[in-house]
Parts: sequence; structure tokens; C-alpha cells
Amino acid sequence: MIEIQGLTKEYDGRRVVDDLTFEVRPGVVTGFLGPNGAGKSTTMRLVLGLDRPTAGHALVTGRPYVELPAPLRTVGALLDAQSMHGGRTAHGHLRWLAASNGLPARRVDEVLGQVGLADAAGRRIRGFSLGMRQRLGVAAALLGDPPVLLLDEPVNGLDPEGIRWIRTLLRDLAAEGRAVLVSSHLMTEMALTADHLVVIGRGRLLADAATSDFIDRHGRTRIRVRAVDPTKLAALLRDPVHGLGATEVGGGAWEVSGAEPERIAALAAAHGVVLYEITVQQDSLEEAFMRMTADSVEYRAEAAA
Amino acid sequence: MSAPTPAAALTAPHITAPAAAPAAGPAVNAFRAERIKLTTLRSLWITPLIALVLTAGVTTAVGAALGGKEDNLVDDPGVGIFYGLNFGQAALICFGILLVGQEFNTRMIDVSLTAVPRRGRLYGAKLALGALVGLAVAVLATLGAFAGYAATVPGAWDGPALLRSAVAGVLYQTLLVVFCLGTTAVLGNLTAAMGLLTPSLFLLSPLLSGVPGARRVVQFLPDRAGQYALRYADDPQIAYGHWTGLLIMALWTALAAYGGLRALRRAK
Repeated sequence: MIEIQGLTKEYDGRRVVDDLTFEVRPGVVTGFLGPNGAGKSTTMRLVLGLDRPTAGHALVTGRPYVELPAPLRTVGALLDAQSMHGGRTAHGHLRWLAASNGLPARRVDEVLGQVGLADAAGRRIRGFSLGMRQRLGVAAALLGDPPVLLLDEPVNGLDPEGIRWIRTLLRDLAAEGRAVLVSSHLMTEMALTADHLVVIGRGRLLADAATSDFIDRHGRTRIRVRAVDPTKLAALLRDPVHGLGATEVGGGAWEVSGAEPERIAALAAAHGVVLYEITVQQDSLEEAFMRMTADSVEYRAEAAA
Repeated sequence: MSAPTPAAALTAPHITAPAAAPAAGPAVNAFRAERIKLTTLRSLWITPLIALVLTAGVTTAVGAALGGKEDNLVDDPGVGIFYGLNFGQAALICFGILLVGQEFNTRMIDVSLTAVPRRGRLYGAKLALGALVGLAVAVLATLGAFAGYAATVPGAWDGPALLRSAVAGVLYQTLLVVFCLGTTAVLGNLTAAMGLLTPSLFLLSPLLSGVPGARRVVQFLPDRAGQYALRYADDPQIAYGHWTGLLIMALWTALAAYGGLRALRRAK
């Protein structure tokens, strides 16, 4: 369990993490979402004691990370998968990690098998693909069989098979009762993996909700309609009496929000408008996420005119 | 030291039989991790070996080539014995720098700090390993250099300053590793450490000591001060004694080691 309370970090007067408060509970996968530069990695570094917060605190199983006597037995972390020395073998890298926390050497072979790197154990990391490095990073996180896992963008560089593997792994780890925090900038990926979502933008908390609630609230529905006579349809939809929010989307088609398809069909029938298309359209989560974080995106290409 | 008695040999296995020793303290674990880091990375374990081979080997080779001649290589046996150290110390300097620097370079320091979050504990383990490996290399290299010189330049190595020079040789090499390790931690960057330490210790310091004006200052630099303790003879131009030279180097080393700790503790 991770408790983050009023966590704030400033670099040269710039707030990278701004008064964050949330919890990562055991037994569920918590997705940590935000556009690039939102402060996800910084938050994770603060939890791990790699950076010192300007204000607030982060506790892991009730204690600051630096006070954990054998931290790898409590928290498994995957940060930047490049943070390894390429000259060591996968086995060598895990061996010193195991020794640093007094973990038995047999754990090294166990986790290498668990992430599918048993055959590459004796090879130098230098020759590893990004996907293999990610797997080795996950192996390092699992080394101490920790109740808390903290993974920064673990699907980066993984192929589709690897992405499915990590998705299953995260769900299995949570099912075993562990607290799992996994960051990503991919909303759809998180919707599939996470039970709970924490969304941040510009270092501030934007949402902290169960994934299903988040989808209900932010997945906007619109009704797309087309009629044999577009002019009659336009007149009907624009009539303020009906109170419909309608926008023309081209090709004689309209999008209506704030109404059930039943009501639109009934209105059209009552006014003698013959419809030949009426479809319910759900905003993708990606769109909901982009809308939510639109104000907090650091860098953005100019919209094409 | 006395030779091990039969009784000690009998009891030793009982004392040191921790095949499964899980209950080691965090400091011991941190040290073990550093030891494994050393043995699992070729560039780390090969540099002290190169230092050993160069320090003992170059002295022996040069002694063999010139030792029998009428005019010896140098006037001072201390300089002759440690002639190879001029080459060997390059590897020692690299070793001290790499021990810390390769972690900054690969950003592996983040992984190390998640495993051992106490900065002082991690740094202490690194210092201890650097000092121990430095000491081991220093003892063997010094013995090798003396033996090689004695074998190739007959009679010249003996003298009242023999023991002091040998002890200084061991301490100089050990301190040099720790000094470079600490300085690298202060700089927090492998490339910067290489860029500062290598030219200072190989070019600036020896070259400037030949310049009469600069010499008065340069003699207080760590390598100049430490190397003076290796010599047999006194040098009237040096403002301090042989042992004081070693002390000056030790002070520099303590400063670098402490500065490294401070730098590591100062979080971003």
C-alpha cells in the first residue's frame, strides 16, 4: 500500500508535482495516467526516495521508502530500463541486486524464468533489445517477492505479445493481493489493465476513480443521424423547443448530444422526417483522456489549419 | 604476525562456516552487492590487475634493461623501485573513477539507490571496497616492485629508508584509489572525473613541479606529496618531511571522500 499525501516537488521554482494526494491499494492494479511531462516519473522517484519532496510525503507500508530495512522485499520498482550497465550479464545484474538486500541467490534464476529470460541469463545486457531490458527490469522488481510494485511505463518497447504478457502479469500480481501502481500515457492500454485510475496533468490530480466509473463519466455518447431530406432534419434539430445540442458534421449528417436515440426517432417520426441513419457513438477513452488533459499538455504541435 | 597454529586451523572452519548466512546486516549486504558489481563487470576487475602488472612489471623490466649498467636509472632507489608505479597508477586512477563513475554514466545509480536507499551506506560500501581492493593491489604491487628491483639492480634497494618507502608505496596506492573515488562522487559524472583527474595527475602536477615558482604550491598537491614519501633521500626544496607528505595526501583523500558523501546526500 502506498499513501501519497500533499506531495509537491519544485525544480527551480517550477512545480512538477503539485499537491498530489492518492492511495495505491492492495489487490488492484492502479493505472497512473498523464501525458508526457505530467509528473508521473517524478512522483515515482519521490515515492522511491530518489528525489526529496518540496512538501508532503509518500509512505510505503506506512514508512518512508528510505527507512525500509530491505526495500526490495517491500517494493519492486521498474524505472528507466536503460539504467543498467550493458557490460554485465542479466544474471550478474540481478545477482548484485539480490545480495544488496540479502535475498537468496536462487531468486535470480526464479525471476529470470518468470519473465522468460532464462536462456539469456548469461548474455550481456548490451545486446538486449528494449523489450528484453524491460523484462529484465520487471525481473529485478519481482526479485524480493514484494507486496508493492511500482512500474514506470512497463509496456514501452514491448511487442504485442510482450504487452499481453505484462497485462496478465500485472493482473495476476494484483490478484495475489499486491498493490500495483503502473504508469502509462496510453489511456486505452490502462483501461484494459487497471481496476483503478489516477490521472494527473501538469503535476495536479485530475481524476482518482474506479476504471468503470471513469468510463461512465467521461465516455460521452453522441447520436449520429442522417435524413432523406437534410433541410427538414436541420430545421428539426435546430428548433430550440426540443433542446437538443446538435452539430452538423458534413455530408448531411448531424451529431446530437444529450438525447436518447428513442427520443430522436420519435421526434423525427412526429415531424415527418425520414431518417436513414441513427447510430450511437461512444467517445473513445483516449478522446476522454485527451479532453481531460488538454489544458495540461506541456508541448503540443500547432493544430493544422 | 605469528603463523597460524594447528589449533587455529582446526577451529577456523567452525567459526567461518556460514554456508547459509541470511541474517547479515544491511551494511554487510551493501558491501557484498558492491563486491558482486566488481566481479561481474570486466572493466572494473581488470583495471586493478593491470595496475598490479604495470607497477611491478615495468620496474622489473626497466631494472633488467638498465640495472646492471654503471650509471643506474636514477639516483634515488625509491624512484627506481616505484618507476613502474608511474604507469600502474593510471590504471588505479581509472579504477577509482570507474567504481563510482560508471553508475552515474549508466544512471544505474538510481537502481543502486532503490536497493540501498541510505546514501551513506551505499557510499560506505563503495569506499570500503575501493580501499580494500586498492590495498590488496598496493601490497602485491609494492612487494613485486621491490622484488623486481632487488633482483635486477643488485644492492641498490637496501637502505635505512626501505621500510618507510615500502609502507608509503602501499598507502599511496590505496589512498589514490579512494581519492579518485571520492572526487568522482563529488563531480557526479564519469567524463568530468576523467577529464579533471587524468590531466591533473599526469600532466599538470608533474610538469608544474619542474617550474621553480609553481613548485612551492604544487608540492602540496596529493600526488606530489604522496610520491615524496616513496623516495629514499631528502629533497631540500620540499617544505615537509616524507611522512608529512603522506599525511598531506591522506588529508586530501579524507576531504575528497567526505565531499563525495556530501554530494551524494544532496538530493536533486
